[in-house]
Amino acid sequence: MSERTFGDTILAVKNISLSFGVMKVLDNISFDIKQGEIRSIIGPNGAGKSSMLNVINGFYHPQEGSITFKGETRKRMAPHAAASHGIARTFQNIALFKGMSTLDNIMTGRNLKMKTNIFWQALHIGPARREELENREAAERIIDFLDIQAIRKKPVGKLPYGLQKRVELGRALAAEPELLLLDEPMAGMNSEEKEDMSRFIIDVNDEFGTTIALIEHDMGVVMDLSDRVVVLDYGKQLADGLPDEVRSNQAVIDAYLGVPHE
Amino acid sequence: MTNLLNDNTLDTFPKLLLKHASQRSNHDAIREKDLGIWQSWSWAEAAAEVRALACGLASLGLKRGDKLAIVGDNRPRLYWGMTAAQSLGAIPVPLYQDSVADEMAYVLDNADVKIALGEDQEQVDKVLEIKQRCPQIEHIIFDDIRGLRDYDQAFLHNYETLQQTGRDFDQQHPDFYQQEVDAGSGEDIAIMLYTSGTTGKPKGVVLTNDNCVITARNGIIREGLTADEEVLAYLPMAWVGDNLFSYAQSYVAGFCVSCPENGATVANDLREIGPSYYFAPPRIYENMLTQVMIRMEDAAAIKRRVFRFFMDHAAKVGVKILNGESVSLKDSLLYKLGNILVYGPLKDVLGLRRTKLAYTAGEAIGPEIFDFYRSLGINIKQLYGQTECMVFICVQPDGEVFADTVGTPAIDVEIDIDDNGEILYRSPGVFHSYYKNPESTASTKNEDGWVLTGDAGYFDEKNGHLKIIDRAKDVGKLNDGTMFAPKYIENKLKFFSFVKEAVLFGNERDYSTAFINIDLDAVGNWAERNNLAYSGYIDLAAQPEIYQLVKDCVDKVNADLAKDSRLGKSQIHRFLILHKELDADDGELTRTRKVRRKFVAERYETLVDALYSGIDECHVKTEVTFEDGRTGMLEADVKISNAECYPLESSTQEAAA
Amino acid sequence: MPTWGFRMSEVTFFIEVALSGLMAGVMYSLVALGFVLIFKASGIFNFAQGVMALFAALTLVGFMEKFGMPAWLAIIGTIAVMIALAWLIEKLMLRHLVNQEPIILFMATIGLAYVLEGIGDIVWGSDVKVLDIGIPQGASDYMLDNFNIYIEKLEIFAAATAGILVVFLAIFFQKTRIGRALRAVADDHQAALSVGISLRTIWVIVWSVSGIVALVAGIMWGSKSGVQFSLSLIALKALPVLILGGFTSVPGAIIGGMIIGVGEKVAEVYLGPFVGGAIENWFAYMLALAFLLFRPQGLFGERIIERV
Ligand SMILES: Nc1ncnc2c1ncn2[C@@H]1O[C@H](COP(=O)(O)OP(=O)(O)O)[C@@H](O)[C@H]1O
Ligand SMILES: [Mg+2]
Repeated sequence: MSERTFGDTILAVKNISLSFGVMKVLDNISFDIKQGEIRSIIGPNGAGKSSMLNVINGFYHPQEGSITFKGETRKRMAPHAAASHGIARTFQNIALFKGMSTLDNIMTGRNLKMKTNIFWQALHIGPARREELENREAAERIIDFLDIQAIRKKPVGKLPYGLQKRVELGRALAAEPELLLLDEPMAGMNSEEKEDMSRFIIDVNDEFGTTIALIEHDMGVVMDLSDRVVVLDYGKQLADGLPDEVRSNQAVIDAYLGVPHE
Repeated sequence: MTNLLNDNTLDTFPKLLLKHASQRSNHDAIREKDLGIWQSWSWAEAAAEVRALACGLASLGLKRGDKLAIVGDNRPRLYWGMTAAQSLGAIPVPLYQDSVADEMAYVLDNADVKIALGEDQEQVDKVLEIKQRCPQIEHIIFDDIRGLRDYDQAFLHNYETLQQTGRDFDQQHPDFYQQEVDAGSGEDIAIMLYTSGTTGKPKGVVLTNDNCVITARNGIIREGLTADEEVLAYLPMAWVGDNLFSYAQSYVAGFCVSCPENGATVANDLREIGPSYYFAPPRIYENMLTQVMIRMEDAAAIKRRVFRFFMDHAAKVGVKILNGESVSLKDSLLYKLGNILVYGPLKDVLGLRRTKLAYTAGEAIGPEIFDFYRSLGINIKQLYGQTECMVFICVQPDGEVFADTVGTPAIDVEIDIDDNGEILYRSPGVFHSYYKNPESTASTKNEDGWVLTGDAGYFDEKNGHLKIIDRAKDVGKLNDGTMFAPKYIENKLKFFSFVKEAVLFGNERDYSTAFINIDLDAVGNWAERNNLAYSGYIDLAAQPEIYQLVKDCVDKVNADLAKDSRLGKSQIHRFLILHKELDADDGELTRTRKVRRKFVAERYETLVDALYSGIDECHVKTEVTFEDGRTGMLEADVKISNAECYPLESSTQEAAA
Repeated sequence: MPTWGFRMSEVTFFIEVALSGLMAGVMYSLVALGFVLIFKASGIFNFAQGVMALFAALTLVGFMEKFGMPAWLAIIGTIAVMIALAWLIEKLMLRHLVNQEPIILFMATIGLAYVLEGIGDIVWGSDVKVLDIGIPQGASDYMLDNFNIYIEKLEIFAAATAGILVVFLAIFFQKTRIGRALRAVADDHQAALSVGISLRTIWVIVWSVSGIVALVAGIMWGSKSGVQFSLSLIALKALPVLILGGFTSVPGAIIGGMIIGVGEKVAEVYLGPFVGGAIENWFAYMLALAFLLFRPQGLFGERIIERV
């Protein structure tokens, strides 16, 4: 395979600090993500990784710092703005629409791609219907991509865990995001499921050129997939660099890799 | 369609395709579910696809006699690959899509494959790995580009690009395709199908167009199939059955074949397509039945009651109605009501509502399973066949369907049984040869074209149907000289849910005896329902209640055997329930879970001896391998039980006379 | 009433009783439907649903009487008012109560009920008003002639309207982007936000839709019995309907409403004489209680699954 090349910086967070009450969850964190890159965020439990993603997609509002996405700098993101500018995500604890089918979950992911107003929607005719069909096709492509045809019509709440994670990825992909935030997409999976998920992440990056920010605990996966890795430890940024650099960084070894973790 | 069936000039698949394309151009030829929607191609469209691909393959240098490997799920494009190769007089070699690179390498090498057509990255990766060892593979074609964009080898070709090349080629050589098709004839090789066989390396069964087309046509005539059949192509393309049902018969009869979305959606696709003509191995019928039963367990009590009631009624009269026998008006009306309330919806769920003909073959099917489907009005029949003759040897005629026979010879098939009880046949489907294996060819097929099946069997006097009892090499004799067919009896035992495995002894003995492994789930469940406490397999296996349970099963098998003039003497006189489950880790089973009879006999010699002595309990010590790889000793007192033996029915008649 | 008994066969009498219960049932259904919509999308138990029906009916009558609008224009005007109301409720109330305990939100809707009642009173006056938007009145001659059954045209009209409304809502919920977004919000707020669904927009939409459903309820009831304060009391009957049908089920609300409407009328007529009448007042609650004991998730509600 050819050498991987990346575009400009798509996202930069600068001097982000976030506290809940007296607890400092993120302390002066700065890093950037380049277009087309797979960027991992690692660190022990409670390091602030999920909080970092929540800051990026606007669920949490940092007290200090700035977020620059696609050249636009903000003090804080709003979830709606994040979604409409091309940031999609999955959650550490699966957050699917449990009562809805796989297809409907993925269609919901296309929410912002669908524009017809409530009037047409209510009548379910004309432009709304055409739009529905076009988006159905897009959703079907994702179903095909993730190989989940067999569960298309099943309510997702009843699916096994590994498949739910896959559907959640599908919902995020449905938005055709430029930046995809994946919060522990392989947690709790067996090695075969992990392999599948890794494959999908690589394929998403490959086929659609999607930039990916990935939180993952399995070091094998992280070293395999990531172009660059940033390491957090109790809100502090320990290291940032290529997988090999990070792996041989003494501070990282001491704080994280060296100590046993689950 | 009868004119097509009688037209002997249509002796190759490309010719049949062109005929359908001109005569029935708008009828659907093949369907595939893509992006959640069934897409279909008419015969004319399919012919155009095949033509473009064939010309593309020709421009890659595929010539008469060359081999084209095809590997992937059932996809229209892969089926077209077969016809495209056949158009050029080249030979398609379908491979099992789940075989690992090593298995695949053997076939690709043995078959001298020149070009490989793979469905996707998974298959292409395997062929790429093999290509280093098999330099004769010149080109690889892929259908689905996903994951392959970065592959830049010059010998890798995108299916669509190749078709475009083919269309350009076609424009420059407009007569080429038709000439190539015309040059084909019935004696030409149509396809090579690799059979795994029980021992040794796979063998390439070489079949001619005549083998395939005539056999397909005979099958169509015998069952009265039409161009309106609906078939779901879901079994591996490398298997002869798929080639017959989803390819050869579709081309001859002109019916449409549907390809499922993928392996996991088959049940759903089956429901949507509602095939009228269907094949499945016994295992699938068994699984479908289990699913239904599990769903009923969870259903509301009323629903369960209604289901039970009507299923009991179906069990009583359903098979008779299907066989066209007369039943009382009340029973007939009740059955009709059941059809509305239960059988119809149930068949809908199974995807078998429109099924006029369902075949099963490959191994023995449990009589209850068989009867379950037949009682619902689904005409499920057994057939007996082999790759070596493009499937058909025997088929059960409508209305004469018995769980333990495989029916009467198919059209144009002659059957003979040699002195050892082995079945031989001769038919228009008899294969050309095993590829590059004259010894095997000679030892299987004699100069007169008779093929040894390797199966032992006989024609049942009562109905003239062929009955398969065992692999010929496993059949032995009791000391009184009567036939001893252990597998046949073991299967009868295993049809009981309580019996997981059975090992029969009797060759060169005075009578037959059996080791039984109970099914821990089924028997454990029974024990719980009957308040029988037990601590594990060994404990459960030794309980007298369980011996009684198993004895009932053995007795029933004996009663059944007593009706059989040839095997009646093989009734099981004594049996024991083994103190451990036969296990592949201990070498007692093969990895595919087949009993290694000889090994078991040696390992448990003391127990076998005990079966043939008068004692009723025997102490054994056995070395076992635990799951973590450690070994240990297992000790137990194994009880031996006598079973009920019944007088032979035919001999009682003689005695009475 | 039983004196009618000798005038017609038992069967037609029963049908007549049942049908007369149906009208009330449709009413309960419509109010319950409004509850379900809001509860599904925001988890709020909207105490003000009944008052919204009253408020809508008052506004409609007001538009027609005070401004002399034709019925169709008044209806459009009222719909506009209900949407504006939804918008105001989101702006002034819901937005400030995000992430509060359900009980706080419930209290807020009690407040809302009083505010709406007050506004209705001040703007349109508290006298009983006649609502006539041209719905056919009187008995259906067709039913009377052919089946010898007495049934009001208004009742047929109400049932048909409710039916159409339900089909319409079902399609809207199942097949459209906004319908899916509504269900998404009901299932998981965070995930809904992450795909760019705006909670505020969704809230305005559900409150608007329940406002319109309330208007339909108000029109039906008002046409039958005049627009008066008692209209807001039908909300009390919606609670047993919800228990019966499940808090999150649209078909449950409809069928639950019918069962209670018909059930209480039938019970009143057939059992009333034995227990001294007035069964209508408590029958619904008894039925709901029975359901709470045997099928707490309601007829159609999702089974309550214990999370571990
Ligand atoms: N909404 C919140 N309110 C209070 N504390 C929070 C909140 N979200 C996260 N935290 C705290 O922030 C710390 C980092 O959490 P998190 O980002 O989830 O870590 P990680 O994903 O690295 O395991 C934890 O101590 C957690 O309890
Ligand atoms: Mg986390």
